[in-house]
Amino acid sequence: MRVSLQWLAEYVDLELDAWELAELLTASGTAVESVEKVAGEWRGVVVGRVLEASPHPSADRLTLCKVDVGGEVRDIVCGAPNVAAGILAPVALPGARLPDGTVIGEASIRGVTSQGMLLSEKELGVSEEAEGIMILEEGAREGMDLGEALAAEDTVLVLEITPNRPDCLCMLGVAREVAALTGKELRRPSFSIAETGDPAEGEVRVEILDGDLCSRYVARLIDGVSIGPSPWWMRKRLRGAGVRPINNVVDVTNYVMLELGQPLHAFDYHLLEGGHIIVRRASPTDALTTLDGVQRGLSPDDLLICDSSGPVALAGVMGGENTEVSPGTVKVLLESAHFDPASIMRTSRRHDIASEASYRFERGVDPGGCRYAADRAAFLMQELAGGAVRPGAVDAVAREIEPLRLRMRVGRSGRLIGIPLSQHEAVGILRSLGMGAVAVSEDEVEVEVPTFRPDLEREIDLVEEVARLYGYERVPSTLPRTASNVGQLTFAQRMRRELARVLVGAGLHEAITVSFIPSSWLDVLDRERECLPSEVLRLRNPLSEEASIMRPSLLPGLLEALRFNLNRRIMDVHLFELGRVFLPREGEKLPGEPLRLACAITGRWVPKQWDRQPEEADFFTLKGIWELLACSLHVEGWSLRRATFPFLHPPRSCALMLNGEAAGYMGMVHPRVAQHLEIPAQTAVMEVDVEPLLQAVRAVPEYREIPRFPAVQMDLAVVVGDEVDAGAVEAVIREAGGELLREVRLFDLYRGEQLMQGEKSLAYNLVFYALDRTLRDEEAQDIWREIVRSLGERLGARLR
Amino acid sequence: MQGMIPEDVAKEMEGDPRLSALLADLQEALRSAEDMDSLERVRVAFLGRKGKITSLLQGIRELPAEERRRLGRLGNALKGHLEEELGRRRERLLVEELEESLHRERIDITLPGRHVNFGTRHLLSRIIEEIEDIFVGMGYRVVEGPEVELDYYNFEALNTPDWHPSKSLQDTFYVEVPGGDYEDVLLRTHTSPVQVRVMESTPPPLYVIAPGKAYRHDVPDATHSPMFHQVEGLAVDEGISLGDLKGTLEVFARKMFGEDRRVRFRPHFFPFTEPSAEVDVSCNICGGGGCRVCKGTGWLEILGAGMVDPNVFSYVGYDAEKYSGFAFGMGVERIALLKYGVPDIRFFFDNDLRLLRQY
Repeated sequence: MRVSLQWLAEYVDLELDAWELAELLTASGTAVESVEKVAGEWRGVVVGRVLEASPHPSADRLTLCKVDVGGEVRDIVCGAPNVAAGILAPVALPGARLPDGTVIGEASIRGVTSQGMLLSEKELGVSEEAEGIMILEEGAREGMDLGEALAAEDTVLVLEITPNRPDCLCMLGVAREVAALTGKELRRPSFSIAETGDPAEGEVRVEILDGDLCSRYVARLIDGVSIGPSPWWMRKRLRGAGVRPINNVVDVTNYVMLELGQPLHAFDYHLLEGGHIIVRRASPTDALTTLDGVQRGLSPDDLLICDSSGPVALAGVMGGENTEVSPGTVKVLLESAHFDPASIMRTSRRHDIASEASYRFERGVDPGGCRYAADRAAFLMQELAGGAVRPGAVDAVAREIEPLRLRMRVGRSGRLIGIPLSQHEAVGILRSLGMGAVAVSEDEVEVEVPTFRPDLEREIDLVEEVARLYGYERVPSTLPRTASNVGQLTFAQRMRRELARVLVGAGLHEAITVSFIPSSWLDVLDRERECLPSEVLRLRNPLSEEASIMRPSLLPGLLEALRFNLNRRIMDVHLFELGRVFLPREGEKLPGEPLRLACAITGRWVPKQWDRQPEEADFFTLKGIWELLACSLHVEGWSLRRATFPFLHPPRSCALMLNGEAAGYMGMVHPRVAQHLEIPAQTAVMEVDVEPLLQAVRAVPEYREIPRFPAVQMDLAVVVGDEVDAGAVEAVIREAGGELLREVRLFDLYRGEQLMQGEKSLAYNLVFYALDRTLRDEEAQDIWREIVRSLGERLGARLR
Repeated sequence: MQGMIPEDVAKEMEGDPRLSALLADLQEALRSAEDMDSLERVRVAFLGRKGKITSLLQGIRELPAEERRRLGRLGNALKGHLEEELGRRRERLLVEELEESLHRERIDITLPGRHVNFGTRHLLSRIIEEIEDIFVGMGYRVVEGPEVELDYYNFEALNTPDWHPSKSLQDTFYVEVPGGDYEDVLLRTHTSPVQVRVMESTPPPLYVIAPGKAYRHDVPDATHSPMFHQVEGLAVDEGISLGDLKGTLEVFARKMFGEDRRVRFRPHFFPFTEPSAEVDVSCNICGGGGCRVCKGTGWLEILGAGMVDPNVFSYVGYDAEKYSGFAFGMGVERIALLKYGVPDIRFFFDNDLRLLRQY
């Protein structure tokens, strides 16, 4: 909402400057987005009166004028058709500067010297009107600076009006706020109509068939209008408010809407069949072409204004072409009605029309203001279009909307705000806003809510009014008494933070990727839906196909982030993400949203350094990170089980098991996937469900006795077939080693010349100790021999 | 040899032809003994089994008693002094050798340190944790709710009428439920539905915050993202006032943005709070004087808040006559943009390592 302070000052005395006013409005809930200074962008332009206008001797279309520019008469050549003796017009004197940068000098035009130039509105930059020179209204003095004559200097406040305050979508409403905030009187426009001719009643009939959508319809008749441009001041105000001037009759409807908040519509009475207005819902056979030239298909939910033959307007949204006011219009039927907000909103959306009228009706227009607005507009048409206003208005009331009465408990209200509020103070604030407020008991106030405030329906709404007028800044800041409350993160919340911290410490960067993924990713990762769910959550209205599915896995987003970096020549990428995935559940409206952890690493894990070779990230890098995580968080009962996943390299992947249940996967991406996504095949990924992971966390690790007696360390190198997994060898070692074998660490893996093809050597460091005595070397050696025997027997291993 | 033997003893030795010759030899031998090997040779030559001093002392047995005593005394003194001198020189050599070897072990301390991988938390996670910690410190619990929500929790129970524009397909993402034809399943447009869920399941008093993702049907640009993060707060108790909301958010804003910040409350409108407020902190870029970031106002809007609307209480079965409460919601990305100067909201979800590494 754009508010001209010049205009606003007609309704309330403004003793504050624009910035002070802006601050006051902002602090009371009407946020001021900006303060704009408006001024004419010209210099050296004055008011001149054309004393004589005679034809140019050598050019048909030029006129020679004698112009009084204030005590001095100048000869000026003019090409405009509307120049005439007696008019007042803006004159650019030599040296004047126009908004487009032109500097005016004396010029010889077809042999006659012109000592200045008469200007059009376009040349002054005040409108697009270039047809003729601008004609100023009487009252300006010759020689007066044009800026002063036009009152061109103004300040506009751009207000953000919240949807609950439709009453502030007009000058009078804003003035009412200002009056309440500054303690000034509100001045409503006063005028008197000189009604003439036959009463409107005889020529206009209004019928409201759907009273639920239209509570009231006021029609006035104005005869004998002459259509033409509105005066400068009105066009200026309309433009300042962002409304394009059209002609005096249409401009008056818009002007009164801006002034009082009541949208109006003017019909050409002669085009209305039978002078009959019918307000009803659309029927299947109805058709209407609106003012914007679009033929509208109508829904039975649309409210129409019809005449005897059919629709003439989409009620409250836009008029029809068939009854539009045109230059030939003589008789105007003026509509001032109240329509149901929700209905207007549906219609406006259905037809994708957002008009100034629909904007206001959607939010709620004062149902008690129809008549006053109709009178005001009729008066202005009488004044500005020379119309004769027919006596009386045709006022159809389908539903009387009475002012609401509310009770407010002052003590409770004050406590809710946190201030000591007196009844006197509360009554004063409510009255300043135009409400009727009377103390009915020691504590209670009875309030009559005017119909222009549809947002005030409950006691709490009044509390808000008191609070914002009292001033939030004056409310003392306190803290709730939360003594009985203990704030704490839950175990799971703390563990999640710990999880992230460990991964960060291990060298991974946390990513946050968007939850929507393209459906094509699912086909890339898992065409047959062996692994990802066959049913996924789709958006009904995605922004694009690329963002149409709620991710069933973190992998697509993370690989996309990987690719984003690779495309920017960042080749070593180590990422993790903690986020939810979305899995539809049979028979449930809402999906499961398990929290997942995923990691993706590619490139070098350790870069080349001045004395070291680089280390590539691979499966074992990621496994190491997982082991670090499991160890730091005390995750118990985990294992990796060979398994294949459609998007993972088959023999380089496994399922992550937690307490016997598959909870995720780890592996290198499948070469097919890597190729498709244009990422390196050397990319290791894992994804695990966080809930089972945290369930496997031992919150309080158990104490394990620290050995007091020295340990015996022995190495063991065995040769096994290449197909035998290290894990199987270690399992046999541990089993055969019994409880005195405390640690088993693989420190060498060898394949090569010294062995047969298809063989490998594994070398382990073994640590033995007892808790109750010093273990003798012989005891350890006995166990060692038992391990060797067992390995030979069960895995065909031999000592190396 | 100077200083090795006391002057009077030396004088006495010089008087004896054998000793003076020996002394001269010794002096000569020591003059060139500058390393361990030559010191050892001096030792062998003079103190060894067949060394000159050893031989001298062995030879005195045949001498007359007085002469024997005198030579014996002088010889032993010489032996003792030589041993001392050799020890001293060895010691000095060792120190010199150590110094030399330490010098050889000089390293270039300006070479880069050995690479250790380091990772980073995402800036948004860090801000969320910071917010959580501030409120946990004030006695709040952290709760969560689903991102895919029902219209009931996202709009209806938050007092948002059915015709409200934010419910349209242009503003809210709706979800197709496999195997069901529902129109009321959506991506939550704010974290506020968590308020309703918590109140449904927990009786007052209640002090909670709910961080999480939210979604709006916005085409991404520098200040809009279809997915973003919010932190919702809710306090319900007996006697909670608008003043309590002010106090709480002032504490938060100062802890989050700096103790010197000013905080401003402006009345505003939200469907589920009344009275409602928007909260601004003074601009840190210009210090409140007005700049591009704060659009010349000197203030940065950081959150929306208000007293819980009694209608919301009636949806969850709380007694609005007995309890009152406040709620607030803030955009995490906005706080990151303001506090850390990230210029574009889309950067948060690109996961460009060059950005991630900065925080």
